[in-house]
Order: sequence, then structure tokens, then C-alpha cells
Amino acid sequence: MAVTAEDLSPTIALDGGRKIRGNLTQARIRWMVLALVLGFGAVGGRLIQLGMVVPDSTIEGQARDVITATRPPILDRNGLEMAVDIRVPSLYAEPRRIIDVEEAVAKIRTVLPDLNETWLRNRLTGDKGFVWVQRELSPAIQERIMRLGIPGVEFLTESKRFYPGMSEASHILGSTNIDNQGIAGIEKHMDDDNVALLQELGLARGNALAPVELSVDMRVQHVMHEQLVDAMSRYKAIAAAGVMIDVHTGEVIALASLPDFNPNDPKTALVKDSFNRITAGIFEPGSIFKTVTMAGALDSGSVRFTDQFDARFGVRFGRFTIDDFHGKHRILALPEVYKFSSNIGTIRVMQAMGKDNFRAFLSTMGFDQRVPFELPEMRLPTVPKTLSEVGAATASFGHGLSVSPLHMVTAYAAFVNGGNYIAPTLYKRTEAEAEALYRRVIQPETSANIRALMRLNAIGAGGSGSQMNKEALGYRVGGKTGTAEKVVDGRYSSNKVTNFFGSAFPMENPRYAMIIMVDEPKAENPQSGTTAGWNAGTVTGRIVQRVAPMLGIAPDFSPIIDDSFVPSAYR
Amino acid sequence: MIRSLNIILIFTSVIMLAGVYTLKFSIEHTASERTALAAQIESQEGDLSLLKADWAVLNQPGHIDPIVKRHQVALAIGPVQQKQFGAFQDIPMRPVKPNNSEMDALFQSLEAGIDPIDAILELEGIE
Repeated sequence: MAVTAEDLSPTIALDGGRKIRGNLTQARIRWMVLALVLGFGAVGGRLIQLGMVVPDSTIEGQARDVITATRPPILDRNGLEMAVDIRVPSLYAEPRRIIDVEEAVAKIRTVLPDLNETWLRNRLTGDKGFVWVQRELSPAIQERIMRLGIPGVEFLTESKRFYPGMSEASHILGSTNIDNQGIAGIEKHMDDDNVALLQELGLARGNALAPVELSVDMRVQHVMHEQLVDAMSRYKAIAAAGVMIDVHTGEVIALASLPDFNPNDPKTALVKDSFNRITAGIFEPGSIFKTVTMAGALDSGSVRFTDQFDARFGVRFGRFTIDDFHGKHRILALPEVYKFSSNIGTIRVMQAMGKDNFRAFLSTMGFDQRVPFELPEMRLPTVPKTLSEVGAATASFGHGLSVSPLHMVTAYAAFVNGGNYIAPTLYKRTEAEAEALYRRVIQPETSANIRALMRLNAIGAGGSGSQMNKEALGYRVGGKTGTAEKVVDGRYSSNKVTNFFGSAFPMENPRYAMIIMVDEPKAENPQSGTTAGWNAGTVTGRIVQRVAPMLGIAPDFSPIIDDSFVPSAYR
Repeated sequence: MIRSLNIILIFTSVIMLAGVYTLKFSIEHTASERTALAAQIESQEGDLSLLKADWAVLNQPGHIDPIVKRHQVALAIGPVQQKQFGAFQDIPMRPVKPNNSEMDALFQSLEAGIDPIDAILELEGIE
């Protein structure tokens, strides 16, 4: 029979003292382990809990990085600051720490009486941890509020954009909102580019951002702005604008449009009338467009510099007859057509080229689309897709189509720099960089002819640029006037005009091209007129007279220079 | 032996405790110093930004121009005119050196009482 364990009664086991102590120790160790596990479990649980908490980003500590986010300083081409960041105090409150709301409201309003009492009371009541009271105050006001000693009301330093040039370069710079984000001009372009990304990543802190260098020369910008302000009052105009670019690099040297705004006070930027007329304004360019017609026709080879055109009678299109403003009513040579600004002659030049070729040339010159440019304020030009006979005729002298002054200055730059189209820019660009972007639009010989025509218009007898030349004598400026009649109640009005002057200097080897616009000018005195030569022309002359020395162009009165490229036969 | 070991251990722990506390306080002190310095740097940066902005305003052509205009009469200054420019080519050549020996001869004859002009005048019949 097998012996099985079941049959055995339990053996009596006696544990020795050592074994009892050993078991006790084991039990203690287990309790210890349990206690430790619980302890670490509690710590771990708390850690997870803390990790799940979403921080209240409106509270000072966390919001700090965002509001002190800085923007790079903007410098002009000579290193002068056009926009800098300054630190200013901003007033905030912690409503949960305010003991007596009524007292706080009354005290704050002694220093900031503009705050609405009910608004402020609602603002300071409640259990919130952070509310703005008033942002971007002056250090003096900060001092006075500190002296009030209200608990729960404190200051925070914020970055604020400051434009030391005030309104002078307003349309170039644009403006920023209270959170230091660009809302217009180059500031907005910079944001779209990369600054906003940097700020979001929290990298835009301190003053570590590399400055942005613009192509603008503040000295020239100042003179242009000053002269335009002068023109506004001198000719009682409703608006004035001007732009100057380097013809070889496309760099914008100055750009101003009046009425303007103060970028330090962004509210003023939203006034309807202060839009940028250079980029966002489109106008019928008037006779300054004749330069485009001449360049196209001469380049196509269908007309030559010496050709004659019959300008004895107006050109008839059905019921309409197009005539000349200062009609000579004789046969004119091509340079005379340009010099006397003959509409008839220009139509004949365009017709010799052919209206379809003329339309194609407008596309070549980029008149169909926006000028590639940094500023966000741009408008599409309106140029008809196809031109009828009469449409082409009016377009040849700049009516029936609307383009921005920036289009015109870019075209003029291409006409005088040897025939290369270069898109304008507000950033610095070297000549080598620009050459890579060149697009040939006319031949160098045509460019030489256009230079001769423009200079002839300034020095020739009866040329519309002679008043301009009187102001800027010696600086070899050449240019073309344009007096565009405005459409009032569906018809062209002869007393409401937009005047332009397109120019370049020094004409024998041009370096700068400029467009000046004066909108609805009145005669300065009874002896003067309202056509472009009297206002836009003289403004151009005065600007060149002031800025040419700054730009390193010395006056030269010797007739040899003019003789070298302007044929004397047409003077 | 155990007792002396315990005493040593107690002393060591007391010393270490004191050391840890000293370290803690010194770190706290350094941290508060650092915070104070950071605050000072920040406020100075703020002041610097204002000074830089002031400097930029004072350098603007738009700021300088009215000052120049205000003192235009007193200082007799004005925008540069075309006729004020010149070139090296426009400067006349240096005149030929004076003939020293002949001049000396002239002065000597004048000192001696003979004026060469008298001879010419006499010849022309004036006097």
C-alpha cells in the first residue's frame, strides 16, 4: 500500500527564534516596499496631473515672450534708422487680487481720465488673473500710477514700433498694430516673408534681429516729400505723389504720396484718402504715355527718328475728331511730334506701327499686370485686351487706359537704361544682381533715341520740359509732361486734370528715373497755367536741383554734352 | 568603537546639513542677484531703446531741415546752387614764375633814382 501524504496528520513544526525573526523581517520589507510604491505612485500621479494642466497663457509670465516680440530695425541705404523698437510700459490688472474695485477705479481715473468708468469697473471685477487696462503708456504716467499704490495693478514692458521719420516715408514703411504685427507697407511684407514665423517660434526676442536695409535714401525721400507738400499748397492740389528709381538696379530711392499718414499712429493709416497713389492708384497717364508709343514704334523699325508726320488736320473716327492741345497744324518731324506733344502725330506714329503690334508692346512693357514689387498695396492696371482703331488712337497718347505711376517709372527706367526691363524693389540690390534679372524690351539704339527725345523736350524751343530745365539747369534732366483730363460726369473735363512729369537724369548716361504726379492743380498765379509743365514739371526740376548733389551728380553747363546726343536740327 | 563611530557620523551629518543649507542660501542669493541683474539689464535696454530712438529722430533729415531753415539768415547758408560747383579743370593754370633777376635789376635802378617809365614817357612825349 502506497503511503500518501494525505493520510499523514500535520507534522508539528516548531520554528526556531531565528526563523521567526527572519519571517518578521520579510513582512516588514513587504510593507516597506508597499509604502514606497504608494509614495512613488503618488509622486508620479501628481507629475502626470501637472503635465495635463493647460497653462493660462493670458497670465503675465507666459504672455511675456509674445508681447515683447521685437521686429528688426529698418535702415535706409545709408544706415539711418527708419523704424526702431522702443520699450514702453503697459498697464495691466489682476482682478482676483484687487481688494476694493471702486477705489481702484477712482484712483486709476485720476491719472487716465479718458478711460470709461463702467468699462473699467467691469474690467476690474471678477476672478480673472490678467486683464489689460491701457497699453503703451509713457514713463511719466507709469510713475504716477505706481505712486497710487493700488494692489493688483501692475506694469509690463512691451515693445512698440517707432518711426523716427514720422510721416515722411509712411507709404514705404506702412505700419504695425498694437501687437507689433505689420498691417501695411514693407512691415506687412516682412511679416508675410518671415518675421511672423520668427515671432511665433519665440525667436524674435531682444534686439538680436539683423536690421533690414532698404534701398531708400532718406535725404532724397525728405526732399521729395517736402517738395510734394509744397506743391500741394502752391497749386492747391488734392493730391501729389512721386517716385524715383535707380534705372540700372531698379532700387526705389524715394517714394512719397500725399495725403499721407503718421505710421506712429496706425489709426490714421486707415483714412480713405491716404492710399499709396504710386502703387495702389491707377490713372490715365496722359501724354507721358507718348514715350511708350515712340519707344515701341522706333523699336519696331516701322518709323525712323527723322520721319515726317502730317499733323495739319485732326484725326477723324466717325463722329469724333482728335486734335492737338497746342496745335501746330503743320507737318512735323518725329522729334517735333514728341516735343510739341502732338496727339495727331502720335496717332500717326502708332498707326505706322500697327495697333496690334502696339498692343503687344504694351504687354512686353508689363502694362497688363501688377508691377512685381514688395508693397502689398497694389492694384491691377486696366488696359483693354484688344484695342479698336479709336481705342488704339487714344491709348497712344495715354487715354482710355489706366496704369499706376510705378508702371510708368519702371517703363521710363527701361527706356533710358539701354532697354532692359528691371522690376523695382525696396531692398538693396547690386548692379550685378540686377543684370541677372534684366529682360530686354527695346534695343540700345532705340534707348539712345528716347534719351535724345526726352532731353530735346527739355532744351528745345517750345519743349514742354523747359520750365523743369530752368529749375534744374546743369543737371541734364530730360522728360515728358502729361496732362490727363479727368472724367467728370462721363465726359473729359478740361479744368480737372491729373498732371504727370516723367523724367530721367543725367540724360547722357541716366542713373535715375522719376515720375511726379500732381492731382487737380490750380494755377499758381494768373500768369501761369494748369498744364503739367507748370506744376509737375517745376516740382521735378526743384527736386533734381536739391537731390542731384546728394546723389553725386555734379552740374555741367557745357553744351558739348547735349550736342553729343541731341540732334541740333530739331532744337 | 561603535559609539565613537556614531559620534563621528552625527558630527559629519551636522556639518553636511550646515553645508547644504549654506549652499542653498548662497544659491538663493545668487539667483536673486541674477534676477536683479536681469531686471536691471532689461530696464537699461529699455532706456537704451528710447535713447536710440531719440538719436534716430535727431538724425532725420526731416528734423534737421527745419533747424537749418530757422538759422538760415543768421548763418548765411542755403541749399547748394549749381554755380557753386567747380572742377579741377576749371581752375586756371599757375602763372609763369616771376623773373627774379629782372625784378632785382628794376628795384636797383629805382633805388638809384632811375625810373624806367620816365624814359618811355619821354619817348611818347607825355609830361
